[in-house]
Amino acid sequence: MTALLSTNEVVVRFGVLQAVSQASIEVHAGRVTGLIGPNGAGKTTCFNVITGLQEPTSGKVLLEGVDITGKSPSKRARLGIARTFQKLEVFGSLSARENIMVAAEQRRAWDKSGFDPKKVTDEILEKVGIADVSEFMVGTLPTGTARLVELARALATNPRLLLLDEASSGLTEEETEEMAALLRRLVADDGLGILLVEHDMSFVMGICEFIYVLDFGRVIASGTPAEVQANPTVQAAYLGTESVEEAS
Amino acid sequence: MRLKFSPRLISAVIVALIVAFVVQSNWGSASVSGRTIATFLVVGIALGGVYAISAAGLVVTYATTGIFNFAQAAIGCFLAFCYWQLTVQWGLPTLVAIAITLLIIAPAIGIALDRVIMRRLRDAALVVQLMVTVGLMLTFMGITLTIWPPKAPRSVPHFFEGTKGVQIGDVIATWHRIITVAIALLVAVALRFLLYRTRLGISMRAVVDSRSLAGLTGAKSSVISGASWSLGCMTAGLAGILIAPETGLVVENLALVIVVAAAAAAIAQLKSLPMVFVGGLIIGLTEAFTSVFLNFGTDWNYAPQAIPCVILFVALLFLPQARLETGKVRLTKRTERLTKPWEAAVGGGVMIVLVGAWANGWIPWFSGTTFGERSAVWLGRGVGFMIVGLIMLSLVPLIGWAGQVSFANFAIAGVGAVLFSHFGGQNGSPIGILFVMLVCAPLGLLIALPALRLKGLYLALATLAFAEFTDKVIVRHPKMIDPSATGVLFKPLDIFGIHISSDAADRKAFVIFLVIAFALLFFMLELLRRSRWARRWIAMSDSPAASATIGINLTTTKMAVFMLSGAMAGFAGCMLGLSQGALRVDSFPMFIGLPLVLLLAVQGVRYPVAAFMGLIGLASFPALSEVMGNPSWLTQVSLIGPGLAAVAMAYRPEGAVFYTGRDLAGMLPWRADAREEKALLDQRTRDQDIGRDDINDLGLTRAFTREKVAQLDRRLSISDAVDEHPMVTSTGVAK
Repeated sequence: MTALLSTNEVVVRFGVLQAVSQASIEVHAGRVTGLIGPNGAGKTTCFNVITGLQEPTSGKVLLEGVDITGKSPSKRARLGIARTFQKLEVFGSLSARENIMVAAEQRRAWDKSGFDPKKVTDEILEKVGIADVSEFMVGTLPTGTARLVELARALATNPRLLLLDEASSGLTEEETEEMAALLRRLVADDGLGILLVEHDMSFVMGICEFIYVLDFGRVIASGTPAEVQANPTVQAAYLGTESVEEAS
Repeated sequence: MRLKFSPRLISAVIVALIVAFVVQSNWGSASVSGRTIATFLVVGIALGGVYAISAAGLVVTYATTGIFNFAQAAIGCFLAFCYWQLTVQWGLPTLVAIAITLLIIAPAIGIALDRVIMRRLRDAALVVQLMVTVGLMLTFMGITLTIWPPKAPRSVPHFFEGTKGVQIGDVIATWHRIITVAIALLVAVALRFLLYRTRLGISMRAVVDSRSLAGLTGAKSSVISGASWSLGCMTAGLAGILIAPETGLVVENLALVIVVAAAAAAIAQLKSLPMVFVGGLIIGLTEAFTSVFLNFGTDWNYAPQAIPCVILFVALLFLPQARLETGKVRLTKRTERLTKPWEAAVGGGVMIVLVGAWANGWIPWFSGTTFGERSAVWLGRGVGFMIVGLIMLSLVPLIGWAGQVSFANFAIAGVGAVLFSHFGGQNGSPIGILFVMLVCAPLGLLIALPALRLKGLYLALATLAFAEFTDKVIVRHPKMIDPSATGVLFKPLDIFGIHISSDAADRKAFVIFLVIAFALLFFMLELLRRSRWARRWIAMSDSPAASATIGINLTTTKMAVFMLSGAMAGFAGCMLGLSQGALRVDSFPMFIGLPLVLLLAVQGVRYPVAAFMGLIGLASFPALSEVMGNPSWLTQVSLIGPGLAAVAMAYRPEGAVFYTGRDLAGMLPWRADAREEKALLDQRTRDQDIGRDDINDLGLTRAFTREKVAQLDRRLSISDAVDEHPMVTSTGVAK
């Protein structure tokens, strides 16, 4: 089966710094894939490459086997890629409802199924659980709620592939659980492929079926949560044992 | 290697062809001899040197504070006048005067600017940053005009005036020019050394990239920004003192060097000091080349003055595309709800009633004055103010919603006025207005085209360049405005049997017609704000990266708003032409575009009603003045007023309409929601009342107290209920 998304030996170089080196990862529809690693490991840069915000120095991005490396971010959105951001990128001077409306209306440019953006917006507000704050300007909302607005906005484009950058940061414990439940539903009911960057390990281990571990831009391990947790290289990368320091 | 037809290569070829054509068709009578070439080089290099110093100051402040200082040249102008006062008036020796001006007055201005205004602008929206410095520019010009009224011509002596200079071939390079070039080189080298080799300079640059990271390395951002602004003012003063002998001590000439400096700075991509020098030279040499070898004839008489603008425009073509940056979103804490259609309708109605009542004399106030009696003069002014209001209204979707700062709408209106005088205006045909709007819409787009892929600041500069180009080249061509034509160019417009024209008898109808048009456009904009178009524009302005990732095509989205704004400006232009009757070639100076945007921005650039408040504010100055018997202090206030407005904007970035609107809404008995929201927001602001400098210095020069930690937690929305914070345990700071 072709992967929903695969990156093929992606390299991103900023001057002498290699932010991502030969990262090859795959995301499959209908499951949550995790992308973890210490700060500065290149996770967000990977996301930027996949969504077209960052041009890779070399390597390819394939969506269902089709090369989309040279495509603009807006074209990729039309092909079904949506994302959230590590640092909030909400439309702060629009209300929560308007944030989602913009995306839903935009979707009409390529989705000719004749849906009603207003209805879609209401459904998504309900689904993500922010209907009660829908009229507030997003700039005035707490960070956690604004994150949910970002997620809702991404969903409004009706993506096949959803990239979540630190989905649970800024959320309370309760909200994190709700988020996990929501993601499970999206994967199971709607068949989305989700790629998740996350620091909250219990969240990652609980929800991901497959995990890639990045360190210094390289994929140093991949496998099921149990395999990754048992991997000595991963433990070294996170805890910074001497052997790794010597190796680098 | 494969030859790639990059856009840059294509632009280069096109530009080269155009330059070749212009040079070919305007070649003057001067022969290419050693003498002319020497003249060209000596003049060009000297000019280039001065431009380079001025531009270097711009680049230094931009590189170290992230703010493009439109007031740069105006500050230089003020300092040049100080220097004149010290030397020519008080007879101090040159070096002493220079020392006082550059080492005492300039840093004092820099530090004051930093303390009072600039620090508050760090995280402000681009339009606020730009408008504050534009306001400062007008203020420094106003202050200079107030202290040194332009009654007698003043001149600053050249350095070593009276000595012969150095003979190069047949041409004499005066010592002043040689010194200028030497100082320019010295400044470029010294600034480069300062920024790249000294601790202070490196900290200065680091602060722009990341204030918090720079703070962690021990850089005190407060000291550094003060130093940056002082340095900027010093280079500004140096450039002013060196230019003044060449241009004469005239405020307008000196302050408008900013356009040239901006062009040189754009060539340097606002960061490279050596390239600033190259940029200055390119402009200086081009100007000298033009004046020595080319002759544009009477038709394009003013074209040479537009050279810096053309170079600025061309430089923008070659700048690398801006990346879609993330992590730069500003979340302003403001509450706002959409205006309901009926509210907008009521608002428009109030405007019509208010202005209509004044025009008809139904308002009994001030009945002893020509304002109250609405003389023909005052009705004529009323027409003018309404048109200014229309142009401001055209800026609301463009600047306020889409975040595209443009200074060109007045110029577009000017082109509209000229076009209307040729098509439709001379036979009073309303179809002409439609035609002009249809032409002006793509015109707005044309200006934006080279800057669409660049960041916002460059767009603002491009629009400024376009405005100057329109003023100096387009409208001054005799085919556009015939300077020999006399009399009224426009036939009265016939609207349902009512005549509208510049004629004194038609002015009342004109005012009423304009306020109705204004109210309709206002209503339209309010409806538009509720539509998907405005939502998309605002989304694009708030976060370009996120907009792109939800499938918004940024280029076409920007194009749409430029076209709307251009069409609205075109309509205002038709009215402008009609109201003036005859057009003069100097009716559309580029300069007017700046205060126009400032006027709107002070009121609140996001809100259509701000355009109305802006025009009322504009009208209130002459009205007040007359009612109070034309006191002279009011004239001075009007000179310094823009600066006060600029300071106000630094403190109240959303504009007066927003703050008063929120407070007024809170007073309405049925708007409990407004009161609650305001209280909620105030509470949150108090909770999070921990300054950015505070955060940077915490743990370095300020203690990590419990209270500060709590504030920090609230600011970061960390809501854990743990009493003992890991950072301040009783046993000391944890790891």
